[in-house]
Amino acid sequence: MKRKVVAFVSSMLLCLTSAVSFAAETIKIGALYPMSGRGGLYGQDSEAAIKIALAEVNAKGLPGGKKLDVIVTDDQSKPALAVTLAKRYITEDKVKFLYGVVSSGAALAVTEVSKEYKTIFVGTDHAATDLTANAFQKYYFRVSNNTYQSMAAGALYMKDEMKGAKKIAYIGPDYAYGRDQIAELKYSLGKLGVQYEMVGEFWPKLYEPDYTSYITAIIKAQPDVLVSGFWGGDTVAFIKQAKAYGLFKKMKYFHPDGGGNYEVFSTLGAECPEGLIMSARHHNNWPETKENKDFVAKFKKATGRYPSYAAEGAYAGILAIAEAIKKVGNADDTEALIKAMEGMKVRLPEDPKGFASYIDPKTHQMVQAQAIGVTVKNDKFAPAKYMLGKFKVYPADKIMPTQEYIDILIKTKKK
Amino acid sequence: MTFEIFISQFFGGLSVAMLLFLVASGLTLIFGVAKVFNFAHGSFYMLGAYFSYQAISMFENFWIGAVAAALGAGLVGMLLEICFIRRIAGREEEGAFQILLTYAFILILDDAVKYIWGPAYKTISKPDSLAGSLDFGQVTIPTFNLFIIVLGLVIVVAAWYVLSRTKTGKIIQAASTDTQMVGMLGVNVSLVMSLVFGVATAMGGLAGAMAAPLRTVAPGSGVEVIIDSLIVVVIGGLGNFWGALFAALLIGEVNAFGILWMPQWASLLSFAVMIVVLIFKPKGLFSREKGRKKI
Amino acid sequence: MKTKLTEMAPWLAYFVIFVSMIFAGSDHSIHVASQIIILGLFAIAFNVLFGTTGLLSFGQAIFYGLGAYITGMMAKSFGADFFLWALLIAPVAALALSAVLGVLSLRLSEVYFTMLTLAFAQLAWGICVKWSSFTGGDDGIQAIPKPDILNMGGRNYYIFALVIVSICIYLLWRLDRSPFGSVLKGIRQNPIRISFIGLNVFRHKLFAYMISSSFTAIAGGLYAGIDKSIHPDMLVWTMSGSIILMTILGGMRSFFGPLIGVAVFILLEDVIGRSTEYWSFVIGIIMITVVLLFPKGIVGVSRHFAGLFAKKGGQFDNP
Repeated sequence: MKRKVVAFVSSMLLCLTSAVSFAAETIKIGALYPMSGRGGLYGQDSEAAIKIALAEVNAKGLPGGKKLDVIVTDDQSKPALAVTLAKRYITEDKVKFLYGVVSSGAALAVTEVSKEYKTIFVGTDHAATDLTANAFQKYYFRVSNNTYQSMAAGALYMKDEMKGAKKIAYIGPDYAYGRDQIAELKYSLGKLGVQYEMVGEFWPKLYEPDYTSYITAIIKAQPDVLVSGFWGGDTVAFIKQAKAYGLFKKMKYFHPDGGGNYEVFSTLGAECPEGLIMSARHHNNWPETKENKDFVAKFKKATGRYPSYAAEGAYAGILAIAEAIKKVGNADDTEALIKAMEGMKVRLPEDPKGFASYIDPKTHQMVQAQAIGVTVKNDKFAPAKYMLGKFKVYPADKIMPTQEYIDILIKTKKK
Repeated sequence: MTFEIFISQFFGGLSVAMLLFLVASGLTLIFGVAKVFNFAHGSFYMLGAYFSYQAISMFENFWIGAVAAALGAGLVGMLLEICFIRRIAGREEEGAFQILLTYAFILILDDAVKYIWGPAYKTISKPDSLAGSLDFGQVTIPTFNLFIIVLGLVIVVAAWYVLSRTKTGKIIQAASTDTQMVGMLGVNVSLVMSLVFGVATAMGGLAGAMAAPLRTVAPGSGVEVIIDSLIVVVIGGLGNFWGALFAALLIGEVNAFGILWMPQWASLLSFAVMIVVLIFKPKGLFSREKGRKKI
Repeated sequence: MKTKLTEMAPWLAYFVIFVSMIFAGSDHSIHVASQIIILGLFAIAFNVLFGTTGLLSFGQAIFYGLGAYITGMMAKSFGADFFLWALLIAPVAALALSAVLGVLSLRLSEVYFTMLTLAFAQLAWGICVKWSSFTGGDDGIQAIPKPDILNMGGRNYYIFALVIVSICIYLLWRLDRSPFGSVLKGIRQNPIRISFIGLNVFRHKLFAYMISSSFTAIAGGLYAGIDKSIHPDMLVWTMSGSIILMTILGGMRSFFGPLIGVAVFILLEDVIGRSTEYWSFVIGIIMITVVLLFPKGIVGVSRHFAGLFAKKGGQFDNP
């Protein structure tokens, strides 16, 4: 009676156990990205950027004539699934690197796998500072900004450019990403000796469809500046709903981590208000270097659209891995690869002239400059009608998390 | 709290409530009449938003988009009812299989939408005539939000008229209490069921089209609204149209004022309200009948 | 004698498959098998409520999460040796919590019961996410320690989990076949008759709820050891939802049906996820097929084919 079931299940299990062949010429990288749902665009953009980077590094060649190969699987941004897939990558697909991950919760789980299996994990898109601070382990590297870097740059911007803004309100999604941002901004403002008063903190749930009641409450609190910690569709929904209430005429809107992501502008189109102060981990129109223009043009050619910032992180990681392999001469000596990556410089699309991003040897965080801009009319990147302009650039070494802050994290969040 | 603040929070809550009601009314209608627990109702909201996005990009007219959303979602709804839901009617474990089936719809529709329109989230522009806002001293009310409030009220009145003043409405009400008897009276019950399913999913689609200028939709947006709609339907008493309206207003306003008093915990208030209601009124605030359904 | 044999056949299959995994499995298949047995215990415990008693709780994830968080947080605070103790404390805590929630929610009929359990679980999830200083918030808890002997690769922990899960499933199986189990089935079919016999329907429902919940907490506690990390995801409504789906998919009228549903679901996700990002589309199609063609779930599929074979056999016997 149960025989059929047994046969079915065991044949399925056999499918799993049958070893996957691994060719000697390729060095495998196992990437995890969400491919559907709210983070799906970042996964798709990352995959496209990975292909561009692979074409570049494989054309240049790696030691021993090897080639890099990336497997991408949908982790649905679920920590448990991400762990399962990461373990499968290591034990079955024999990948040398774990890669990607958009959700910080999933990344915190995957970094444990990386530590347990002594496999390097290159993070490209998750921003939780914890990974390079209290949850740091030596097999982890991050090639995109963390929220601390964005918020430290934001604090500098507030100090220099927004001198009259004393009353601050905050709205951000009610989870770690939203909470970390305001904590880091407060810490950085305190370090700079900026005087301010918090007049309200608002915590809608992630993917909240309707912000109307929050908007009226914020207007009632009468802040000089509203700091925002949304990402993706939530940013767009909030801006559209707030605009109808005239919120942007009543206060400054300041969104230093995820606000200036390209897909926000392309979705808002002509509805984007002018004068919003925003930033992102990568801008399609800044810096105007050859590297950035080439990257954006290649992405547009490959996909028909301009990239969100997730793409540049995914591109950067492949360049970094290739560079490290070149330095070591092979991809088998993990410890040597770690040594090679510590302090390594990689010239990236987001680097302004005369600067190359480098990996901080102590925390394995990529040290990068941050540019904060203001929304202005610009239709060179259709369908966006507004882009950031009037950039203020904050040098990389001024916005890295301080040891003091890392100690605070270790103390409050344990490990 | 000054009067101005009270008014602006109140209106904010009202427009949230009306969109909630637009989604929930379809859900409660399907349950009340067809006894189907349509888990995929949120997916019709999502489909509506995408249909209106598509129609607007073709015809550049918001109203055509709204019609396309309602018609499109209603047609898909009827199709799914005829092809699948009807076929499991009367089974021993009907309730459980309805859950499985409608959950499968969610999975399939999410991926279909992603395949057709891509993974990026979408939004549409408000029609020019409703893009402005009205200023009353300190209180600002966007015209579009006002329009949604009015639309919600129109639908309430229309539904009341159809359900209690027309023959169709009486058949629907009768079919919801005693399907067999209505069938014996010569009414084509399965056609009525399909039509009710179509109307209910069309309302979900319309809600999506109305929400799209304010919100963003992405593949998977259906599940973002389904839980809130379920809360509304349950608080109001399953299958109770007026109950759903009252519950939507309750949830909308509790959230609107909860944000002022306890911003940290506001997003949990809906669940707290549901727990309190169910503990004191175990069949919802406005239940007419005893529990109907065995799952 | 014959009934005895058909009763034992599923057990035999269960042990053949899951014990052979110890020797045959690669690291990855052992990891997948660990997930299957642990979620399988969750599903079988859930089915005590659903398939047996006829109570659809949409909030069993609250006990799964409770077990995971008690185990995870205790092991984290008091050290690896506490892991095992926490596995004992988890079901006791679930027993206490389920007694309170059960008294509140079991008074409600059917769909309202379902929704109230959903509301409690969502409230617990919200608190778990928001009270981040205590629970770690949505980042969850990582690097949960466990005793050294369970730490070497996934195999040792799998054996450990298999022993505990098997004991739990056996206890639930005995329960299913006990007079108490018959009363529960009676409650599903005709609660009025049960009360006429003089039995207290509410009390029996409450016991079923408490038993189901405490075994669920054991499953949650065990899960904390597989990945060494836990997340509020384990409490959210989609967790309860997917257990319901897997149970119906597998077959809720069969004791082992839920376990089969879990295995099929996890294996499908693993296999399909490798080849296409449209995995949820494929799973949706499979679910619809099962619903339309096999009203008894996957167990029904196997019985259907078993029936075909039996017929064939019959023809063969006839010259």
